[in-house]
Amino acid sequence: MISTATFTSIRNAISTHSRFTSIRPQTVRRVAPVINQQANGVAAAGLKEMDKSLADRFRLGSLTEDGLSYKERFIIRCYEVGINKTATVETIANLLQEVGGNHAQSVGFSTDGFATTTTMRKLHLIWVTARMHIEIYRYPAWSDVIEIETWCQGEGRIGTRRDWILKDFANGEVIGRATSKWVMMNEDTRRLQKVSDDVRDEYLIFCPKELRLAFPEENNNSLKKIRKLEDPAEYSRLGLVPRRADLDMNKHVNNVTYIGWVLESIPQEVIDTHELQSITLDYRRECQHDDIVDSLTTLELLDISSNGSVASKENGDKLSKFLHLLRSSGDGLEINRGRTEWRKKPVRK
Amino acid sequence: MVATAATASLFPISSSQPDSAKNSGKHGGSFGNVDPRGLKSKSRSSNGLQVKTNAQAPAKVNGTRIGVMDGLKTDDNVTSGAPRTFINQLPDWSMLLAAITTIFLAAEKQWMMLDWKTKRPDMLADLDPFGFGRIVEDGFVFRQNFSIRSYEIGADRTASVETLMNHLQETALNHVKNAGLLGDGFGSTPEMSKRNLFWVVTKMQVLVDRYPTWGDVVQVDTWVAASGKNSMRRDWLVRDCKTGEILTRASSNWVMMNKVTRRLSKIPDEVRTEIEQYFVDTPPVIDDDSIKLPKLDEHTADHVRNGLTPKWSDLDVNQHVNNVKYVGWILESAPQRVVENYELASITLEYRRECMKDSVLQSLTSLLGGDATVATGVIDCQHLLRLEGGGGEIVKGRTKWRPKYANRFKNINHFPTESG
Repeated sequence: MISTATFTSIRNAISTHSRFTSIRPQTVRRVAPVINQQANGVAAAGLKEMDKSLADRFRLGSLTEDGLSYKERFIIRCYEVGINKTATVETIANLLQEVGGNHAQSVGFSTDGFATTTTMRKLHLIWVTARMHIEIYRYPAWSDVIEIETWCQGEGRIGTRRDWILKDFANGEVIGRATSKWVMMNEDTRRLQKVSDDVRDEYLIFCPKELRLAFPEENNNSLKKIRKLEDPAEYSRLGLVPRRADLDMNKHVNNVTYIGWVLESIPQEVIDTHELQSITLDYRRECQHDDIVDSLTTLELLDISSNGSVASKENGDKLSKFLHLLRSSGDGLEINRGRTEWRKKPVRK
Repeated sequence: MVATAATASLFPISSSQPDSAKNSGKHGGSFGNVDPRGLKSKSRSSNGLQVKTNAQAPAKVNGTRIGVMDGLKTDDNVTSGAPRTFINQLPDWSMLLAAITTIFLAAEKQWMMLDWKTKRPDMLADLDPFGFGRIVEDGFVFRQNFSIRSYEIGADRTASVETLMNHLQETALNHVKNAGLLGDGFGSTPEMSKRNLFWVVTKMQVLVDRYPTWGDVVQVDTWVAASGKNSMRRDWLVRDCKTGEILTRASSNWVMMNKVTRRLSKIPDEVRTEIEQYFVDTPPVIDDDSIKLPKLDEHTADHVRNGLTPKWSDLDVNQHVNNVKYVGWILESAPQRVVENYELASITLEYRRECMKDSVLQSLTSLLGGDATVATGVIDCQHLLRLEGGGGEIVKGRTKWRPKYANRFKNINHFPTESG
């Protein structure tokens, strides 16, 4: 068989040869990274040329042809997988946030992580999440590749909406959907503000003109009002403290951390036998490093009109539904309220 | 000049999968069917050939060669269909070079790739954009790329040390998987699973020269080596994909434990046979840092943080706390002024006991050397993570910190740019 040395020498010859081509620069780049230590000089030259497009190529995402939405692919890594051997809902939420940020960056909005337009930055305005709703039909496993498409649209006078669709890249199956509502807030006064026309125009050109919803069906869960659960809650986890890793660049608790906190007060029996089908969170107040948070959970009971056996955990669609509240430990102020639906875990090999 | 241009036009190099090599061989005149991102391969190839990846690498080698040879026969037909410029009238030696190149590249790729995802045909193998990883260096080293995602960076916009350690863990698992040694899913080889054995990390050392930032791509190399009679060492080297600069070095020590008895075990002969072939005979990337440290408890500690409890997301599939999470807890008790103004240059961890969902932990930190360290600019800390109430030790640690902006000024092009 041909020895590695011969390979290497042939490889060198090829790459030196192809370096002179001007027609297809990509040709050079594809060869360069395969070379290792022996051909450093050639590799370096090839790599420099790669600089500009490497980031683009490794960013596995791009605007769609009409420029109105953005798609990106992600591989699920082993440390993003939880006790079920599948990606955790926090991993999914992180990826949604990542693709949202990359979308904003690809259309030229700020790269400071806050996706603000130029006018917004001039006026010290930032986006804050008001509501987040995620539904997952099938959780991806380690080393699965998923493709997430995202787009945003204006919503009324004060808000904007960002929607996502998650697909299994291998077979195109839709494995999840999500939608989120954002409002504009003044960074300094921390007060909500209406989206002025010039700001709206700045970002609306990147949004689909016709209404495009991840949840087009009527009366879907993403619009449901969440009741405040009553004291005393059935299950609780008190004294949750933000870790340093939970803080974003602004020293506020990352949106995704709240999801983790909500799940903390779910009873063990549910975690062992069920998996999260959907989660809806209304963000009321922000939270910082020195806050202490209590997480409360109660079964969501059916309305009075049903002949409800209050004891039954499951209703017609066989889902377990819970109401949640995150509040500040000291003064009891509401931070988030939420709603989750759980389905029985599928039988796995 | 003319010759090289001709070769380029016939050069099928642009795609890097074995099947695409076959394709390109057939389309002598058409350029590669992979665009810069390499992910959309539709409609470029004139014949619209379906590209199917094949998971069985060895068998494919022959298949590819034959395919290319076949393709060569049709080359003339394809080229003669192209416009008759002077380039196309060049002698055949340039086509021959292209053909030889194709064969070698295709064969080389077969040797490099041992494991393919059958469902994903349009992948750039050598650049490995998804980060599946591949075995290199004659089968001893596993290499995987990671792009730093936005949620993996910390408050100072660089990847956190936990992110780095997560990447190390991922490459370790993928190495075992790609070598065909993945037994029952998280690190045990088949012979180990039969005996209820699994690997336990006893020591971990990480040395960071420079932290990557959002959007950077790092290349992680990992390999294993023997370590004493009954343990195994796994080393990592992390490079910046763009510059080749070494960002991080890490070394870890592993022993075998019986799942049922929870006792340490010698390496059985059958397992040794399985894994010995992968051992590399190189010295560790980091010299062993085995300084004796003074006893650390609530009285000697400078900072204590209580009430640390694992969340669901901290647990691995065995419902044990993931190794990397300990680092986060250790750093929780590091004093604020250190965390704000210094970056972690190195961390050494000794794992003592495992920790489960309902454990409540206490994190203690003590600054070694006191005020003397302020002058040198390097801070040395000692850490202990243990069960609350004076319970068992979970992890002992030692960290070294250097001032945050020291490195930033050394590498001006990495200076974080504020968006305007």
